[in-house]
Amino acid sequence: MRKHLIVCGIALVGLLAGPLAGVSIAAAPTLVGKDAPDFVLKGTDGKNLRLSEYRGQVVLINFWARWAGDSRQEMPALDRINSTYNRAGLVVLGVSVDEDSRRAREFADAMKVKYPILLDTSPEVGRNYLLEKMPVTLLVDRSGVVRYSNVGFKRGDEHIYLDQIRELLRE
Amino acid sequence: MNLKSRLVSIVWRGGILGVAWAIGAGMPVLAANANANANAPAAAPARAPAAAVSTAAPTAVAPAVPAAAPDPAATVGAAAPGTPVSDAPPGDFKTLDQEVQGMKKDVIDLNKDLFVLQEELLFPANTQVAVYVSMDVGSFFALDSVTLKIDNKEVKNYLYTAREAEALLKGGVQEIYLGNLKVGKHELVAFFTGKGPMERDYKRGATVNFDKGVGAKYLELKITDRVSKHQPEFKIKDWE
Repeated sequence: MRKHLIVCGIALVGLLAGPLAGVSIAAAPTLVGKDAPDFVLKGTDGKNLRLSEYRGQVVLINFWARWAGDSRQEMPALDRINSTYNRAGLVVLGVSVDEDSRRAREFADAMKVKYPILLDTSPEVGRNYLLEKMPVTLLVDRSGVVRYSNVGFKRGDEHIYLDQIRELLRE
Repeated sequence: MNLKSRLVSIVWRGGILGVAWAIGAGMPVLAANANANANAPAAAPARAPAAAVSTAAPTAVAPAVPAAAPDPAATVGAAAPGTPVSDAPPGDFKTLDQEVQGMKKDVIDLNKDLFVLQEELLFPANTQVAVYVSMDVGSFFALDSVTLKIDNKEVKNYLYTAREAEALLKGGVQEIYLGNLKVGKHELVAFFTGKGPMERDYKRGATVNFDKGVGAKYLELKITDRVSKHQPEFKIKDWE
């Protein structure tokens, strides 16, 4: 009886582990190496900004949402990066993907960041950028190609961003 | 019915017709095979590919279909004289003949539709409608966005950056929309939003009813200053 149980147990484990071992976790689709899809969005200050107008500069695009806790930590870090590297040719754009633009505006005001915050109330831009998780920070080089895609944020990640930014600014 | 739906309809009808031909051609072949008729197998494959082509490439069918049209009669005729088909009662031939006549009519209709479609594909500029935006002076209006509706359907919503608005003020003309419309009467409504006099939010609409003829149509949305009223003015000019 005991032998039977052991055999059944092994069979069950094999049954579960087999397919799992065979399944390769598909990499999330990414835009790295491709042209950054152009967009024009209204900013919290009422001005419209078009991404393609920043061709020739290194652009950091941070997609964020109120409900993504990491955004709360990431935005002040990005503001510091912006104030340091803005003069060197870096442009930081924050894009809110919240449907409620009023609350997104309030959130952005509370964060007191100095870089432009754009409001994407339609899902079009998020869809073009294949966004699945929040926040997402992309680095676009001077020729408009997405070079780095960073999903999520934890303390210390700003150093990774700095390395990426310095590399792109040197090009 | 628009071009796309017509194309789908034609391909669909062509497919049904092709299947009908294949079935229609297959039956006599089977009957002929049973009677050891040597002509029938040669006739059947020649017809089947023509039917297949008609489903895959409608434009290529135009010459092929009329050429294939007399074939069914030939098949029936070919099967008939070689061997006696006394098994089939005369009533069935009558039905078959009616079916063949119906198919011929379908082929003629399909050919007509393909001809019209070909004309439309060859001369797409005839359906073109282009809308341009221009600004004169612009002291009383800072452009923010333009929304276009044609026949009550939103076709474009364009947000202007400061740089783009400045380019318009310098005399630039922007092609904001390029699309296709059928010949006939249409209505274009343009909504302009921005900052008006005294930095107030401003939204105005302008409408034009136009006749789309056989040639391309050009419309210009003009934003000008009405100095006497200290207000912007929005006009739609129909370029003939």
